[in-house]
Amino acid sequence: MSYFVQLVVDGLATGSIYGALALAIVLVNRSTGMINFSQGALAVLSTFVAYAVVQAGGPLLLGLVVAVAFGVVLGAVLERLVVRRFEGGDPNTAVVATIGLLVLVSGIAGAIWSYDPRAFPSLFPNETLALGGVFVSVRSLGTTAVLVAVMVALQLLFRATKLGLAMRAVADNPGSSALSGLPVSRLLMLGWGIAAGLGAVAGVLVAPQLFISPTMLDFTLVYALAAAILGGLDSPLGAVVAGWFIGVVENLAGAYVDVIGNDLKIAVPFAAMIVVLVLRPQGLFGRRTVVRV
Amino acid sequence: MKSVQHPRRLSGAVALIGVTALLVSGCTREEASTPSSSGTAEASPGITDTTVSLGISSPLSGATAGPGSCTVAGLDSFLEAKNAEGGFTFGDGKTRKVTLEYLDDAYDPAKAVANFRQLVNKGIFAYVGALGTPTNAAVMPIANQQEVPQVLLTAGAGEFSDDQQANPWTSGFVPTYTTEGAAFGKLLVDANQPITVATLVQNDDYGTGYLDGFQSAIEGSQVKVLDSATYEPTDTSVDGQVTQLAASKADVLLSAVSVTPLQVGVLTKAQSLGWKPRIFLPSNTSTPATVLQPGGAAAYPDVYTPSFAKTPASPAFANDPDVQAYNTAFEQYGSKITKTYTPHCAWSYAEGAVLGEAFSTMEEPTREAFMTSLRSISGFQAPLLLDGITIDTTKEDQAAVFTVNLVRYNGTGYEPVQGY
Repeated sequence: MSYFVQLVVDGLATGSIYGALALAIVLVNRSTGMINFSQGALAVLSTFVAYAVVQAGGPLLLGLVVAVAFGVVLGAVLERLVVRRFEGGDPNTAVVATIGLLVLVSGIAGAIWSYDPRAFPSLFPNETLALGGVFVSVRSLGTTAVLVAVMVALQLLFRATKLGLAMRAVADNPGSSALSGLPVSRLLMLGWGIAAGLGAVAGVLVAPQLFISPTMLDFTLVYALAAAILGGLDSPLGAVVAGWFIGVVENLAGAYVDVIGNDLKIAVPFAAMIVVLVLRPQGLFGRRTVVRV
Repeated sequence: MKSVQHPRRLSGAVALIGVTALLVSGCTREEASTPSSSGTAEASPGITDTTVSLGISSPLSGATAGPGSCTVAGLDSFLEAKNAEGGFTFGDGKTRKVTLEYLDDAYDPAKAVANFRQLVNKGIFAYVGALGTPTNAAVMPIANQQEVPQVLLTAGAGEFSDDQQANPWTSGFVPTYTTEGAAFGKLLVDANQPITVATLVQNDDYGTGYLDGFQSAIEGSQVKVLDSATYEPTDTSVDGQVTQLAASKADVLLSAVSVTPLQVGVLTKAQSLGWKPRIFLPSNTSTPATVLQPGGAAAYPDVYTPSFAKTPASPAFANDPDVQAYNTAFEQYGSKITKTYTPHCAWSYAEGAVLGEAFSTMEEPTREAFMTSLRSISGFQAPLLLDGITIDTTKEDQAAVFTVNLVRYNGTGYEPVQGY
């Protein structure tokens, strides 16, 4: 039994990493209606800023604050200078532009910090708690706690504040929002800024495990996108739950189903994703898009 | 509206011109290369009376960038230091300086092939020391078809060394993974007691090589494998696999993981579960500073790894003349390419010496003569190799180095090991 619980706990820890990045993807989608493939790269660049602060002798917490500030500015500037030109056009073009940003931003990080993976300090002590035969690292607990807190904050932002309502309105229908007097361009900048700032938090949380390098989140991005889509692209809660789902199902299928084993385990959550999306195209927690005729 | 459309049209035109220019330049380069490869001169491409040009493509970006950069940096250090002394003396009596062209393939086979073609078009004499099994496997058929030497590869898969009849232009440098796995299996068998083992291996030739070597060594002995798991190099974490293996409570963990962060993850995860087996690490993820210290390896009763080269930073070798020469050369040349040490830096430095040895008996400036010389080295004491390990390229189914010594982690570095 404790073996089973251990696998679940490990899966939740890995799933939290997917969920952290998925949250940033959801945030951009919720506030601008786009899917941002460069989300991981922006997070990595911000994390490198935290790394630089730590290298210069600063405490990690200061590094985190500087990284988040840097992320917010970076996201806003990129939205203003690059992404703005693609908004309102063909969404496919915009997506390709964000892939271009992914390559560009990774390249910049690589040019400055090189591609060697480096150890990154953790915000949480490197200790393990034994709870009834199950071992949980403090780092995973901390990561998960921060993730849940951010998720709740985002839910509140979108559901319970005027700003969130305005951001949703802009994402949904920029034309009508502008006519109702909302500062559309500033709200779009803000959406990208907050998402990139959140990415910085995610980056700092997962870097101790993944080791920081410009390509740190490349593969994580695939899982994060899957989590975002499975959970429903506009639902922070869905992104996190789906991240956990992928992490846990992957582990259990690998350990218990001999035919699947470690070779095929990653296919299981994706197969589940296809089934869910066939039955519920808007994702587990997403809202259905209603088109009025 | 107009002001918006004009720039778009303009940028479209610029893009079109750019693409056309790329296509045209790509085509011309291809055409230009044809005459040089079908030239009637006696000398092969890339070699003159005073110079010889070598090429390498290794991962200089991505997760394998550390080892990849070292395969360039160590080699460059040896070659440049030798150039500074005047150059390499060849078997035809001439002295030539060596130039090294290097490109980044990010461990991507498609890029490695493109890089190889680009280097050959630029006129390299030989392709040397490239790191990576999938990348070199993609290059191998082309190199053999074009008869370009693809030699002394820093790739441990058996396929580069075990059939030299089929691939006469390819050779491996470092011991194969099978050799490493077998060395560890033999250590356990020699202990002559019942030992249980769990294995975690990469799901490709790298992992199966290890497992094959290990299993053939333990066959019929008291050593039993209780549980095995695999992982993909792209996995975010191998915690699930380690949890699964920990349930076996095996005495020993063979962790043939080639990705640095994942190997650190194995070391931290197993001890966090209260499972502290003796651990065997492959030579490419056993660097103390980047793997063992971050992973808290001191918690385990023993950590073993195969080795065939001296660690230049180790105090034990501080007075070794080879190590001193390496350190001076690396400081001056290699450190411009990478500052992070992995054993690949030492290996590729030794590989430079092997090239020099082959040059010294090469009587004609041709690729054929080079391959003949390169395939007839035996008992050569290359710099930085551990005592008792020599270069032997005459075996038809082995890499240039096919013996390893096992060493044990002592909390700071490695020391020789006598038994289990």
